[in-house]
Amino acid sequence: MTSLGSSVSSSTEYTVRVPKNTSKKYNIMAFNAGDRVSCSTWTQARMERDMSARRIYGEEETQEGAAGSEFGKKHREEARRKKFGIVTREFKVEDQPWILKVNGKTGKRFKGLKKGGVTENASYYIFTQCPDGAFEAFPVHGWYNFTPLAKHRTLTAEEAEEEWGRRNKVVNHFSIMLQRRFREQERGEDEEDETEKSGKKKKKGGSGRGGDLRIHDLDDDLEMSSDDSDSSGGEDGDSKAKVKKDTGKGKGKKKKKKSNESEALEDSDDGDYEGLEVDYMSDESSSEEEPEKGKPSKGEDLPKGIDEASESEEESEEEKQNDEEAKEEEEEEEGKKTPVQMEKKKKKDSSGESDSSDDSDIEGETASALFMKKRTPPKWGGGRGSAGSSRTGSRPGTPSIDSASTSNTLRAAANKLEQGKRQTQGPSTDSPAAKRLKMEPSSQSPVPSGKSTPQPPSGKSTPSSSDVQLTEEAVRRYLIRKPMTTKDLLKKFQTKRTGLSSEQTVNVLAQILKRLNPERKNVNDKMHFYLTE
Amino acid sequence: MSEKGEVDLTGAKQNTGVWLVKVPKYLSQQWAKATGRGEVGKLRISENLNDDASSQVSFTLNEELTVIEGIEDKTVSAPREHPFTMQSVGGQMLAVFTETSSDKIALEGVVVQRAECRPAVSESYMRLKRLQIEESSKPARLSQQLEKAVTSNYKPVANHAYNLEYERKKKEEGKRARADKQQVLDMLFSAFEKHQYYNIKDLVDITKQPVSYLKEILRDIGIYNVKGTHKNTWELKPEYRHYQGEEKTDE
Repeated sequence: MTSLGSSVSSSTEYTVRVPKNTSKKYNIMAFNAGDRVSCSTWTQARMERDMSARRIYGEEETQEGAAGSEFGKKHREEARRKKFGIVTREFKVEDQPWILKVNGKTGKRFKGLKKGGVTENASYYIFTQCPDGAFEAFPVHGWYNFTPLAKHRTLTAEEAEEEWGRRNKVVNHFSIMLQRRFREQERGEDEEDETEKSGKKKKKGGSGRGGDLRIHDLDDDLEMSSDDSDSSGGEDGDSKAKVKKDTGKGKGKKKKKKSNESEALEDSDDGDYEGLEVDYMSDESSSEEEPEKGKPSKGEDLPKGIDEASESEEESEEEKQNDEEAKEEEEEEEGKKTPVQMEKKKKKDSSGESDSSDDSDIEGETASALFMKKRTPPKWGGGRGSAGSSRTGSRPGTPSIDSASTSNTLRAAANKLEQGKRQTQGPSTDSPAAKRLKMEPSSQSPVPSGKSTPQPPSGKSTPSSSDVQLTEEAVRRYLIRKPMTTKDLLKKFQTKRTGLSSEQTVNVLAQILKRLNPERKNVNDKMHFYLTE
Repeated sequence: MSEKGEVDLTGAKQNTGVWLVKVPKYLSQQWAKATGRGEVGKLRISENLNDDASSQVSFTLNEELTVIEGIEDKTVSAPREHPFTMQSVGGQMLAVFTETSSDKIALEGVVVQRAECRPAVSESYMRLKRLQIEESSKPARLSQQLEKAVTSNYKPVANHAYNLEYERKKKEEGKRARADKQQVLDMLFSAFEKHQYYNIKDLVDITKQPVSYLKEILRDIGIYNVKGTHKNTWELKPEYRHYQGEEKTDE
């Protein structure tokens, strides 16, 4: 083609050859733009076909001959397949993906999947320039798209589904892979003989789900992961462990090494202490020992997994301490009140290291409360006693010294009950039970009561100790002073005060007047009585 | 085997640049017909030095290769001129690797330029296209009316070919004679060396013995199990079989 216009152009002609020898097959290796792969950085590379799909197809390759085989089994299987119309795709080596490993073990890995439909409608040719200036065109046999493979561990499909369900609750994402790693370690010790296929990981992941759930419950409530700076893809289990340890309180180096769940436990314990009444707010050591006790009580291998040497030692030390304290408590526990005993039982369980995490929380709570209380009694060499009670005979008779403890409230309540007992015993000798309450104030002086005195219904003449009585003397007194009508007299002796009914009052008054025989006088058209003495 | 899988990186190190060109099917077919050293045509590259317009590349097909033979003796001539449309590779990294028949992999180079080979539109091209469409539009299956009825597979009373074969078989084998018991046992043992389970029919085939006689012998040395799989098969008794070492214990 000749050039147009004024632009200077030079055209050169090259011969194009399509070589006939087909020993070499040309393929395209395509990388994604974002991966920024540069061939020049590769020092060494290995590439092989990924034959992992062969297992699926070649499953029939059981041992032939001898045991287990049947005569003509293959033919029969084939006939059966045809009958049912099962079409199995052939395993073509050509179509299998490539695995490319660059720069040895520590370098990158790629997987190359064959792209279909490349050679269907148009052909691709590779034009290379030869030293002699001619072009050589080679047809492209296949196109493979290479993608980088993740080196870090990923979750399997089942695990991913699980985690997805908990995505709103789990805040600390590092722990997910860490737990999985530990589970694998545990299982790996057991199953070292098995072949290392990907199926193995799935097994481990699946069966360890229970533990995973348990741990994350604690995480959900308490843990706030602040370590987002270390966002490595989880390359190193140790580095991960160290990363997480800054959350929660900085209690000590050994605590930092421990796993998430242990820290979460500590947090919860601290928070729970606040509302309790304690004897002495002793130093932190008491509160520290408690959560550590809770940790081994979980029965998990996790703390050991991270840093086995140092931590197992520390844990054993703590456990020894806890055991000692448990023994002390057990001695004191004999002869305590029942509510206190119930709490102690819980504590025993916790020291037995058999509970789940939920229980250990509660136990830690109660146990810690007891723990604090009980630190003081050992100094006084013996349990506490209550003030002179008749209830528990085996209790030593030391008077109650600590008045600020929670059990005081119990004791106070017990005291009151005892008082009540004594009080009720007093009036029991008196008149019938219905009257007991009323009689009480009369018999006991220190306890005044505001109840009114009842008048025995029997006997008009027997006066009871009340203010106003309907007696002859009283009537005479009134009549001497001043002339009164019967009405006025009745008013004087009100039924409320005398305890008599109105009829009775009238009768009694009439009789009294008969005896007295007062003089009569008419004042204002009303009959008045009076007496002159 | 450190050799296998090792990728030869010389091409990558040299940074050999290649072109990836998309070529129409008919053209590649024609190229396959090339003779001799494989010369198929000429590539003309004209570069505009003044402005930065992309250079014009065109490919001219050799004369002798333009003849395309279609079906039913329709020959069409392919166009000769094919300008290339140049495209950039984009961010993508395209490398070329080769695989030899002996499974040696070598990295040949990196693609620096992509291009599409287009035919220059001409009368001959149109005819070619039409031919192609005609060919592709034909259905794969065809219904055809026959003039004469097919008589070759009429219903015979007894299929002659089959009949003959049957008679021959009968004549040849006749009634299967009971061979010596020891011989039969030998045959059975050698058969069971190869496979563990056998169908009675297969054993009859192998030993050429009448069924009842064979069954008697089998009852002696073997067991008949409904294996759980479909068929009922015979296998040797445990004391007779010794599969791991491949040794057979005689009775």
